[in-house]
Amino acid sequence: MNSLVVLLFWAIIVGLGYFVYSKWVNQNIFEADPNRATPAKMYLDGVDYMPANKTVLFGFQLNSIAGAAPIIGPIIALQWGWLPAVLWLGFGVLLIGWVQDYSICMVSVKNDGDTLGALSYKLISPRSRAILLAFIYFYLLLLATAFGDVISKGLSGNAALPLPMLVAVGTAFLVGHLIYRSRVNILLTTLVAIVLIFGGIALGNYLPIRASYNVMLVALCIFAYFGATLPVWQFIQPYNYASVYVTYFGIITGIIGVLISAKPMTLPAVGSFNIGLGPLWPMMFVTIACGAISGWHSLVSSIGTSRQIENELDVRPVTSGAMFAEFTISVIAVIVCATAFTSNADYLAQLKAAGPVAIFTTGLGGAITSLGFPATFAQSVGGAMILILALTTINLVFRFMKVATVELLGGKVPLARNQHVAVLIAVIITFFLIKTGYWLYIWVLFGGANQLMASLALLLVTLYLASTAKNYRFILYPMFFMYISTVAAIFYTAFFKLLPPVFSGQLTGVKTVGHVLSATFGVLLIVLALILAYDGYQAFKKYRAANAALRLAEAGKTH
Amino acid sequence: MVDKAESKKKKKSGIFGFFKDLTYGMATHGMARQALKTRSSMEHLFILITMGDMLGVPILPPYYSLRLLPYVVPQITTWKRRMLREKDLMDSMF
Repeated sequence: MNSLVVLLFWAIIVGLGYFVYSKWVNQNIFEADPNRATPAKMYLDGVDYMPANKTVLFGFQLNSIAGAAPIIGPIIALQWGWLPAVLWLGFGVLLIGWVQDYSICMVSVKNDGDTLGALSYKLISPRSRAILLAFIYFYLLLLATAFGDVISKGLSGNAALPLPMLVAVGTAFLVGHLIYRSRVNILLTTLVAIVLIFGGIALGNYLPIRASYNVMLVALCIFAYFGATLPVWQFIQPYNYASVYVTYFGIITGIIGVLISAKPMTLPAVGSFNIGLGPLWPMMFVTIACGAISGWHSLVSSIGTSRQIENELDVRPVTSGAMFAEFTISVIAVIVCATAFTSNADYLAQLKAAGPVAIFTTGLGGAITSLGFPATFAQSVGGAMILILALTTINLVFRFMKVATVELLGGKVPLARNQHVAVLIAVIITFFLIKTGYWLYIWVLFGGANQLMASLALLLVTLYLASTAKNYRFILYPMFFMYISTVAAIFYTAFFKLLPPVFSGQLTGVKTVGHVLSATFGVLLIVLALILAYDGYQAFKKYRAANAALRLAEAGKTH
Repeated sequence: MVDKAESKKKKKSGIFGFFKDLTYGMATHGMARQALKTRSSMEHLFILITMGDMLGVPILPPYYSLRLLPYVVPQITTWKRRMLREKDLMDSMF
């Protein structure tokens, strides 16, 4: 099948989802009103609560939600075949993905810009806020582990990529200095950053740096440590700023390349139902998270975006627009990778040897080459883009884990209040998990934690709609689907994949500890999810009873 | 004729403006928010050192504090909102 048919499917999903379904929900369920004051206007505090233009917010939302996950997830899921991956991406985003991003933002806007924790406290139960925080900590730990492994494997598997990454890190320090210390014009600074980063990408093939997986992993841990402890203006902010242009270039050239080359999909449309990771259901629905639906987005929508919304009508273009844009990135990732390999065996061999970064390097490289760029440069752009995106996430994750460690342990262990100790705790646990766990299972656990958070966000929206006596069914059924699929996937991974080799004696030493620890995290996530589901059901019953009483009272008044 | 040209110009600047805002949102909006957070922390300190004079209890030599007060007073409304708002760990994420 030609890849343009997949693009046609993309266009239908975006058309139906954005222009029909989201418009209907916006008007009929949430009744967006341009005259109602938003939290950004009501509680303007000059920092968190600040109205922003909808296009600026769209860019902010897209940049915050789209990391490497919408690319890596679909690449791994190609093992089940590209058709199931494309169908889940399309129907996932159409029926669940945008609904979550939009509605949790709308609920937050209608509740004074409350965060997910505050909403849980208010709508579910007081203890749910603490459970959610523990949940997020494990989620971030698994995220750091999954991405850490992918990055180390990607850097050690391709000698052309370490140099561009080193140049990108150096450029970040330079950009920070130019903007904040030397006060150089932003346009000139941007130009210098672009020249340096793309120069580094071009030079990578001529100055290869070969290092083992372990060396790259240690280098990554050092990067994570400094990223989390240095002042944000010095490294993280300029790094994120400079890296945006590589992502821009990669996405735009990738889309044009796919359109121009119009290659046939060479990987099998449908692969085996049961692969090494497990059966298609439930495993594929957690392997592909971002691009279809992701709990991470609910954090961005409720914490970052909802407090900057200027007008209720802006919520739809900002949140669902960004979700469909991320869906586009995932579809492009599927197309470039499913058209780049002549056989399934090639794809599987490369995935096993060098991981998803190598697959994307070949895939996006192929698309960019069709625009006339040299193949080596094009492939390096693909590799650099995915690694830069993954490192951006690593920066954010360790920074937040530092704050979370101080908050969670600081009261009991005074030493944990020290930021260096807090970061080191997070780095050491992540290092241990990467070295002892099996990355594909860790990816599934991370995806599971992510999707459970999405289920929780959907539960919160259901409860909000139930409490305001509005139609909640359009969100209730997706919530059930996500919740059941995710719990089943985590359960399967913990009890059918991680623990059997431990009990059968196939593993020895620290590997045993790693598998047991990963399985324990999985079980813990399930227990936390079950407690939240129980509390959520109790709250739902309460709201339904209150609505029934209100209806009775109103009926009494009429008679 | 003039209207047509104006609307064409507006449309052109609209598309240019769209990409300008989008790039700003993706690349720089986060930096601007962080700068605002840093400024707010400085303002909190500023208000702290002049709080005594605002309440009528001189802590610093009153001459300097009183000279600072006109700069502090306009910040009080937003400062109150920031200080009195209930916060949780997630506030530090974005």
